[in-house]
Parts: sequence; structure tokens; C-alpha cells
Amino acid sequence: MRLRKLLNTEYGQAMLYSRLIHLGQKPARSGTATEFALGRCGFATWITLLCVCAVGLVAGSCRAAGLTVSVVDRQGHPVVDVVVTAAPIGVTGPPASLPAGAVMDQVNRAFVPGVLVVAVGARVEFPNNDSVSHQVYSFSPAKRFQLPLYKGKPHDPALFDRPGLVVLGCNIHDQMVGYIYVTDAPYFGKTDADGSLAFKDLADGEYQVTFWSPLVADSPELLTRKIHVDAGAAASTRLQLTRNLRTRPEPRMRKGDWEY
Amino acid sequence: MRCASWLLVLLCAVSSRQVCASDTLTIAGTLDLRWVASNAETSYMNGGLGPLRFDADHDGLRLGRAMLAGSLRLTDLITVHGVLDAYGDDPDKPVDFSELYAEVRPFPTNAVRWSARVGAFHMPISLENRAVGWTPVYSITPSALNTWLGEEFRTIGLEGEARWLGASSGYYGDVALVAGAYGWNDPAGVLLATRGFALSDRTSTLIGSLGRTPFGFFREIDHRPGYYSGLSWRHHDTFELRALYYDNRGNPAATAADGDGAWRTYFWSYGARLEPANHWTLLAQYMDGETTIGPDSAGPDQFNMTFHAGFALASFEWGRQLLTARYDDFGTNQYSGFYGPPPADQAGHSWTLAWGYDLTEHWQLFVEGIRVTSSYPPRLSVGEPPARVDSQLQAAVRYRFRLER
Repeated sequence: MRLRKLLNTEYGQAMLYSRLIHLGQKPARSGTATEFALGRCGFATWITLLCVCAVGLVAGSCRAAGLTVSVVDRQGHPVVDVVVTAAPIGVTGPPASLPAGAVMDQVNRAFVPGVLVVAVGARVEFPNNDSVSHQVYSFSPAKRFQLPLYKGKPHDPALFDRPGLVVLGCNIHDQMVGYIYVTDAPYFGKTDADGSLAFKDLADGEYQVTFWSPLVADSPELLTRKIHVDAGAAASTRLQLTRNLRTRPEPRMRKGDWEY
Repeated sequence: MRCASWLLVLLCAVSSRQVCASDTLTIAGTLDLRWVASNAETSYMNGGLGPLRFDADHDGLRLGRAMLAGSLRLTDLITVHGVLDAYGDDPDKPVDFSELYAEVRPFPTNAVRWSARVGAFHMPISLENRAVGWTPVYSITPSALNTWLGEEFRTIGLEGEARWLGASSGYYGDVALVAGAYGWNDPAGVLLATRGFALSDRTSTLIGSLGRTPFGFFREIDHRPGYYSGLSWRHHDTFELRALYYDNRGNPAATAADGDGAWRTYFWSYGARLEPANHWTLLAQYMDGETTIGPDSAGPDQFNMTFHAGFALASFEWGRQLLTARYDDFGTNQYSGFYGPPPADQAGHSWTLAWGYDLTEHWQLFVEGIRVTSSYPPRLSVGEPPARVDSQLQAAVRYRFRLER
């Protein structure tokens, strides 16, 4: 019942639509109607159908809009791998489908990717494709877990069922640090090399957009903002950081028999 | 060379991967063969007072080291480590352990992680000896400071560490407090008093001897445990500072039944590592302290010697190659007591240049030149002038492997 109520809202329909688009599928209902129209209807039905299509197009554009976010540092250079989440304000409900699984790999004594963003309820695999064994752990409140010493993929994926930041470490190689950002926002991603991220098919409305990166030192107030997404208009927001990025040089790759 | 042949057979057997049937065992090994050209005075390894491992009468083709290091995981928390060494220069103990200890390292449940080591192992001082088996990674031969640490010091006891892990607080680095308590380190200081500082990669083993030195390094004489305590700070894995105070709390008046006395040795040690850009590593370490033997009642005849040693090292890595330059400075000052005149004061410095090349994953080539300028008056007793310049050129071919099962 909760799912049906959700789908009756614009947000719910947009969510369903975005999920289907994400999966590379077309909404089944519109496809069936088109086939029916082409196969069996007369002129009057054609006219009616055209009108319905036109209305549908306008209505569809009302439901799905785009939002582009970009992040630049103090000097105006793009900042890559910033986690951005967008949550509609005043709309609650569970996601339309199960969150996708994700992978946090270990290569050359580093977590890959260094920052991973997943939805609440996601299961994350921790394969070790390094030449040495690792002991992965986290004592973050959002997820406490330990994976005993291993190589390859001997452990089941771990369930991340609480929102929050999970800091990963290796109990053998202290220089290994990774982050899993677990969010309950329906829209999320990371900025690309141009410092930008495009959300498609958002429903109209007010959104709370949040930015996070281990390298960003700005205050949380600056990293959260409300954005209004309008029908048919491409919304965008640009975050210029006011404080310098934290420096974190890439750890030096150690030779195979080095103990670090 | 017979023992080296046996160790080679052992290495080959391990390399065949039959030994590692369990996923709890890690084995790393190195076979290091050297070609040496030297004009140095007779080495302390061969009964002389020369400051280098090899000398003009003992060069040519040599066994650098055959090493087998194993780690056996007993549980998720406890791992036993052992390092077995052969240098081909100790007919009485051709193969011996240089380290053997258990490490307990629980998963951290908050930002402070506790860990402990029990057994026989090296103190956490050297910034050069970073590879398995306490192998120096920037050159064949470690600095004078770390050479001495590898010769006369081993923690045979317990060490605990508390490490604050900064990542959970948004800081990429950590701070560690370490403390150790140990016994069997009462002779520490005797080699420095009778030879001074040297530059050598010949580490002592637990029961073996060091060339013709007529004493063992690890025995308990005064039944008083020693301790050390240190602090380290690692920032972004590119900058590290270490400080450690060591005191063996020896009773310099104590004597064993065979006449060997206990030495009281203490020192401060400091170290810094900086990796400013992707290819560079800069290291510096310094230590100073004092060693004493003889009862206080001996007055001016009590042997007292202060010492200091330090080095600065720059290393550049690119691809499979590594180029290192190091400057060492060291000295001792015997301010009381007599080992027979003249006083055993040593003053010296050295330059080391090394080039390493990883031919393949398993084969490595290392070439190193050392030039030591030193003054040591006791040389007069063996017919040498007190001041000398000694040089040594080495080329090492190493086969290395690491297996995890």
C-alpha cells in the first residue's frame, strides 16, 4: 500500500521513471498504448491520440527536470570526486526499488575508489585484488564491521543499512583509508573531472543538496543548500569553496616486500 | 659456502610453493650474492678495526645474505614472525634467527588501536630498514647509526603500542606511543667501545657471533630489565617524526661468572622522513648517548664513553630504479677509564652512493660505493695509522620472493 501511495505522487512517478530509464527500459504502459493505436484505430482515434500525446509530453516535462551541480575550489578550479546528494524536501517514502550493490576494491595498498557513495540498504563487496592480504575494518557509528585477513573475495558483501559516513581502514596498512558515504537521498553521485554532476529526471520541487568530500574543509552550512527545480527549466547550482582543499598526496606505492 | 648452498636448496624448496599449503602462512626470502672490491683495513669481521664489513683481503665474490622470513597467523589477532639468516661467515652458527616474536594486533574499536609484540625483535627506530627481515631499502649498507642498532640491540621482551588513528576524525595521519621492557641486552655498548661505529649490513643474530668478535650480544648479567619509550607522528604518509629514549638500566658493576661485565647504555634517538614529491625521499636520524662499565667505586678508572651518530639521506625513485646519496657523521668520546692508552675516541664521516634496479619482480641489482674517513687511535695497536680513508664498492644480485597462502 505504501508503494502504491508513493507511485500516486509526482515524486513517486518520477522515481519510477528514473529507475526505468536507469535500467535502460521504457515505461511499459506508454509502449503498449502506442502499439494499440497504430494497429487498430481510425482517424478520430488518431486525433484523440495526438492530443493525448501532446498533453502527455507537457505533463511529462512537468514531472521530470534536470539539475546540474558543479564544485570549484577557491581559485575556481574544478573539484573531482565530491559526493553530491539531492533529497526532495517534504517528500518521504522508501525508494522504488532495492538499491544497487557496489564494490570497494583494494589495489596497490589503497581502497579503490577512495570515496564510494551508496544508498541506504546497499550491499558492498570488498574484493582484495592486491598482491598482499588486508584486514578491512570500520568503527564508524554508521557501520561497524571487520573482515579477517584475506585476499580475493572470500567475504559476503556487507550491508550498509544506516545513513552516515563510514571510514574504512586496514589493520595491517594504516596508510590505507577509504570512505563510504551512505545516503538516504534518492539522487546522489560524485563530481567528474570537470567538477560537475548532472541529475536527470528530478520531479518538480524543492531539494536539499548536500556536498561532501574528505578534502573539503568548508563549514557544513556552506555545503548544504536548497534548490528549486522547475518544470522544463534546467536548474543548476555552483559551489565555490571558501577554504583551501585539504592536501592529501597520493601515498607512495611501496615495493612488494616493504612492510609498509 | 656450504651453509649457503643448503639455504639455497631451502629457498628453492619454498619457491616451489609446496610449503605454503595454508592461507595463514606468508614466506618472504632473499638470496643476496655480492661482488666486492675494497681497499679497506682489516674489517672488525675479520679481527681488525676496520669500519666496513669487507676489506682488502676479504673481497671478491661473497654471500651478502640468505634470509627467510615467515609469518604464521595463529588467529585473526595473533601472528608469529620469524627471520632466519645466513651470512656465510659464522661456521659455528651458519643459520640463526635474527628475530622471532609474536604480534598481537586486535581490530580497532575506536580511534586508539592497541598492539603488542612479545619475543625478540628490532626496536622501532630505523627509517632505513623498512623491508621484511629489517632490510635497508635505500642502499645495501645502512647508516652507521642503524648498523650499530642492528648489531648490539634486540628487544628480547615485550613492547606495547597505542596508536591514535586520525582518519576517523578527518585527519590523514596518526600518532603512536610505544614502550618496551626487555632483558638480555647487558653487553650493549661493548662493540662501540672496542671498535667504534661501522657501516655494515651484517646484522647480528640471536645466538650467533659477529665475525671474530669474542662476545655474544644478547645475555643477561645484572638481572635488571631495561626499557625504551618513544613517540611517533605520521602525517599524510609523507612526513614522519620519531623520537625514542633507550636505557638498558645496566648495572656497570655486575659481572658474570665468565668475567663479562654489564654495560649501562642509554641514548636518545630522533628521526624524520619526508617524501615531498612522488619520486623523492629525504631521511635524517640522529642519536646521542653514553655507555659505562665498571663500578662507581673505580672512580676515574670507570669506563665512560659518550657517542653520537647521525645521517642525512636523499633517495630518488623512478620506475624500477632508485638512486641514493647519504652522508654519515659519527663519533665517540671516552672521557674516563682506560682500555689501555690511547683513549678509544673515534671521529668519522662517510659518503654512500647507491643505485638499485629491479630487473624483474624477483631479481634486483644493487650497486653501492662507500667512502669512510675516520680517526681511531687504537689502530696504533695493530700497526695502522689512526686516520684512514677506507673505500668499498659492492654489486649485489638479489633473488627475492614472497608467497602468501
